[in-house]
Amino acid sequence: MGKDICVFIECKEGKIRKTSFELLTKGRELTDKLLSNLLAVLIGDNVINLAEDIRPYEEKVIIIDGEVYKDYRWDTYTDALEFITKKYSPFLIIGASTITGKDLFPRLTARIGAAFISDATGIEIIDGELKVKKPIYGGKIISWVSPKSTDKVIITFRPNSFSIEKGNRTGEVIEEKINAVPDKRMHLVNITKGQSEKVDLQEADFIICGGRGMKDPENFKILEEIADIIGARVGASRAVVDSKWRDYEDQIGKSGKTVSPKLYIGCGVSGALHHTMSMDTSKVVVAINKDPNALIFQYADYGIVDDLFNVLPALKEELMAAKKEG
Amino acid sequence: MNILVFVKQVADTEARILIKSDNKSLEIENKYNLNFFDEFAVEEAIRLKTKLKESKIIVCTCGGKKAIEALRTAIAMGADQAYLIDNTDMDTEDPLITAKILAGFAKKEGFDIILCGRQAIDDENGAIGPMVAEFLNIPHISAIMKLDVKDEKHMIVERDLEGARQTFEVELPALFTTQKGINEPRVPLITGVMKAMKANIPILDPLTLGFQKEELNNGASKIGVLFYETPKARPPVKIIDGETPQDKAKKLVKLLKEEAKVL
Repeated sequence: MGKDICVFIECKEGKIRKTSFELLTKGRELTDKLLSNLLAVLIGDNVINLAEDIRPYEEKVIIIDGEVYKDYRWDTYTDALEFITKKYSPFLIIGASTITGKDLFPRLTARIGAAFISDATGIEIIDGELKVKKPIYGGKIISWVSPKSTDKVIITFRPNSFSIEKGNRTGEVIEEKINAVPDKRMHLVNITKGQSEKVDLQEADFIICGGRGMKDPENFKILEEIADIIGARVGASRAVVDSKWRDYEDQIGKSGKTVSPKLYIGCGVSGALHHTMSMDTSKVVVAINKDPNALIFQYADYGIVDDLFNVLPALKEELMAAKKEG
Repeated sequence: MNILVFVKQVADTEARILIKSDNKSLEIENKYNLNFFDEFAVEEAIRLKTKLKESKIIVCTCGGKKAIEALRTAIAMGADQAYLIDNTDMDTEDPLITAKILAGFAKKEGFDIILCGRQAIDDENGAIGPMVAEFLNIPHISAIMKLDVKDEKHMIVERDLEGARQTFEVELPALFTTQKGINEPRVPLITGVMKAMKANIPILDPLTLGFQKEELNNGASKIGVLFYETPKARPPVKIIDGETPQDKAKKLVKLLKEEAKVL
């Protein structure tokens, strides 16, 4: 095995996902240290035109293009990645801890017999040894894990774990033809697209989250308006989703999604542990709640104790004014 | 038809967890539950049983002796039989080893369908389902929101993938991991709890599943914990004062721009 690192690139709606650029930036930093090459693997149907977007980050962009890869399936994608690991022998493969990543990488790990660390939030290389940071028990504990050998290692990272910095490389574009055959035992019979124009909650830089204190599904309109001003996604607490005020895909918490945006604003969120464990890694947290004893204030950087139905319209005005100033 | 359900006993979300003085082990308050996502798997197995002729629900966990409590919960809900694979002397950090053991159990017991939660809420790996399926060379669909029987050999399942709802027809044997929303797990009836208390739950040695000790102990693990630490605590919250909500909102935006520098 060599010292090269391979990044699995994810696309959504014909665009490369933000989380993949984060991994490319981190991968480049690590390969600079190791004096090795960074490879990017891009799998899909008609994705060759996307190679330009990622060339500045790495030495090699490996494109696996074909109709069979149009929709993600573990069978075809595992075959493709297995081929890449054999041919290019990267010692480390990194990917995002998204729904796709969580489906694909355990399967690949079992196939090739790798060391597997999932849902990590940081990585360091010290004297050639990998140290991987992984929150466990809902973020109550940070575990630093290391693969016992650097033979074959697969790590998935939470979106928003790293910043993005565009590189100045000009990666060589290599097309690989792999005839993956879809598993005959599973047929994709239907796909219904959801609210796909929205950025994924896990990848959002800004999140404005509504809790039970929002009182009514209608009241989420102002959260949507504020979200539009600052380019945020609206999230929801479990109570809100259980009351069917918002869709399950908006849920932040133990039974929903884990997020770590640059800015999280909780509105009428009480701050129960099953919620805070999934947003506690947010960089800056704002809480708006009329109850000064709400638990959410223990997890916040800034707090406003007031009726949110008075604060939110004012906040909307202020953010609009701030945006105009630039 | 054999319906296998793989479960895990996990520390309750509210349990106090402390790092021991060696920084390499944890002290966990004695509050444990059947893993949140595994409850959906047990419930779905019970619903499936009513739709399939002559089927049997077998629940299995790979854990310490204490994990028998989680199996009793599953029996109280309605599972027919349970097995504990005692992993006391085995490595427990590497999901690949646990998956190997569970796949070994499935092979020995025989199965048509395997269900398990999409991930455990303690280590949050979410790796076991797809890994077991790979070891058994069967298809898997993860995080399913719906499971319907087409016929004795085929299931129709739905799952959400990055904003789209996918529907698959899958030939058995197959493995599915369950996501919140697929059902409402039942609360066991008192008669179920009584039955579970009396149930005979065999404890298996993983070495009886056709493995050599070297394949399963610490030496076999491909990963190791270097140390544990507590996350950095946030500084105390700054409560923004002001005469009116407008004042407070104005100050907040200023702080977010100038102090936190996130806007």
